[in-house]
Amino acid sequence: MPLTGTRDLSNILAASAIVPVGKEEHWELPGAQILQLMYEIDDSGMTSLLPPALHPTVPPTVVFTVTRAPESPAGPFVLAQVRVGCRSGARPRGFSAAAYCDSPRATEALRRNWGYPLEVAECSLVKRYDRIDAQVATAAGIVLKLSLMNPEPIGGNDLLYLSTLNVARVERDGIVSGRLVQVDPDYVFRSADRGKPQLEVFDVPAWQLEGARTNWPVSASYAVADVTMPALRYLVDPVKAPLASVERVG
Amino acid sequence: MKFGIFYEISVPRPWENDTEYKVYQNCLEQVRLADELGFDQVWAVEHHFLEEYSHCSAPEVFLTACAAQTKNIRIGRGITVCVPQFNSPIKAAEVAATMDIISGGRLEFGTGRSATWTELGGFSADPDETKKTWDEWTRIIPKMWTEDRFGYEGRAFSMPKRAILPKPYQKPHPPMWVAVTSPGTELDAADRGMGSLGLTFGGFSEQEKKVAEYRRRIKYCTPVGAFVNEAVNSVNFLFCHEDNMYGARTGQRLAGTFNYLAEQLLAARQAYPTRSYPNLGLLPALRREATDSVEGQIPEGLAIGNPDRIVEVIKKWEATGLDRINFLLNAAETVPQAEVLASLRLFAKEVMPKFKDSAATAAATASATAPRTPATAAAGGA
Repeated sequence: MPLTGTRDLSNILAASAIVPVGKEEHWELPGAQILQLMYEIDDSGMTSLLPPALHPTVPPTVVFTVTRAPESPAGPFVLAQVRVGCRSGARPRGFSAAAYCDSPRATEALRRNWGYPLEVAECSLVKRYDRIDAQVATAAGIVLKLSLMNPEPIGGNDLLYLSTLNVARVERDGIVSGRLVQVDPDYVFRSADRGKPQLEVFDVPAWQLEGARTNWPVSASYAVADVTMPALRYLVDPVKAPLASVERVG
Repeated sequence: MKFGIFYEISVPRPWENDTEYKVYQNCLEQVRLADELGFDQVWAVEHHFLEEYSHCSAPEVFLTACAAQTKNIRIGRGITVCVPQFNSPIKAAEVAATMDIISGGRLEFGTGRSATWTELGGFSADPDETKKTWDEWTRIIPKMWTEDRFGYEGRAFSMPKRAILPKPYQKPHPPMWVAVTSPGTELDAADRGMGSLGLTFGGFSEQEKKVAEYRRRIKYCTPVGAFVNEAVNSVNFLFCHEDNMYGARTGQRLAGTFNYLAEQLLAARQAYPTRSYPNLGLLPALRREATDSVEGQIPEGLAIGNPDRIVEVIKKWEATGLDRINFLLNAAETVPQAEVLASLRLFAKEVMPKFKDSAATAAATASATAPRTPATAAAGGA
């Protein structure tokens, strides 16, 4: 059977968000800008980046996603994620152990509603006609800097986004337990572009992804979409085997 | 209705020194038995880098071994990846012709373009280009087979005049097929006068519509080869057992294992935004078929269970207009070899006779001992 992850998430879970299940808010994010890059990573990190509930993809990948939401119930924000491509059972997912947001208010709301493992940092997403740039800087310095070069229009239907699995704790009936929280937004695309990926800075410790060495660019896309944040539907127990780990909620 | 067997050659971890050897030997044993039992064809894929799911990167070698160890079963190269980073069209034509000679005129030539980033990225192939190079190759390969000397100036491939040798044993050349995973590719097959080598199957009614449209379109085709190969081939899982529930459970385990492995791969569309790959290919459709059923019931389209149930399922597929069904017999060795062989025997004994062409093939098998001549091979080729 396929390889499975070996990672112990105890340390990350201890400081993770607590999500009261069933109390998430309904969010619409009109006109959100989404920059996404995919890279293959060295196979030395194939299993060590993921918990036992997840399978790595073949080849192993990371997906960089920076979303600028000009409007949200928590005000405008920029959210940056680096996710490890994986499978929850047979389903394609992106595993997220750390993420950053430029708005303290949005950070608190995204942690509480969907378990995003967020810290506040300076995040930017800038669209130009010849390139689209994104950057994340913490007090320690720049931890992510990437670009899509030479954008060319494609159809929104040509894009396929992964659902996210955030490392978090969930609270049900007063009991708190460590889980991966599945976030699978709906997208209605207004426009989309494709281009050449360019990764200048990827500080792996800042993203809790030690061992994720990018070695091959795959793709870069940029889209403007109306995004609907979902109600929670699935949780994953990170320590269980893949086929026994998924829990339906709601 | 004709029946065949279909190989991805999946190899389960842990990979010991002889794991791949054992799996290949099991496959060859199945092929020899299928030939004796009157199965019409054996197909093998060309896949690269697909860990566990398919260790079949040199199907021409495997199929040549099949040809050398059998007498009648036709040899399906399913498919040649028509992408220059994977293969050269010259080499593809040469290898196919050699296989046709070695097999005594039993080659079926499948074409396609790969559907995973795992493979396309591994060969540094451009996903936007694959449909175009496939289309160009399907027009030139039959000419390489039939023209004394072939020269060409094209978009993605050119060559000065040379004699491409050897020439196929079947005249004018082996039947040509297109692997169909993306919606509409069956129409591409029809428009080019090629067989539709279906690698997915929807519901019965959806399949019936597709077959009808294929047959309507192929009447007006511009064939890429020297003749039209009007035929619709499909794929299914097979596990046949006297005990219906045991057969169904084992068959579902086989299908589930296959699809679980398939889903670990990175489809082209999941990695690279492109109009060239409008869907995820083979994988999700097969998974749906294997898993979509009312709780406790057997998925309706799968050829698993006892002979009566399988006859009923195949009759329904036959009614949609299919000419052939190829069966996946195992996945990651989840079914013991003895049970795979027993399933084949039971299918041949109890199911095949219910379908006219297969019965005729089985009868022919009993008396046939010599390789086909070019004339008989061409007559029965497509």
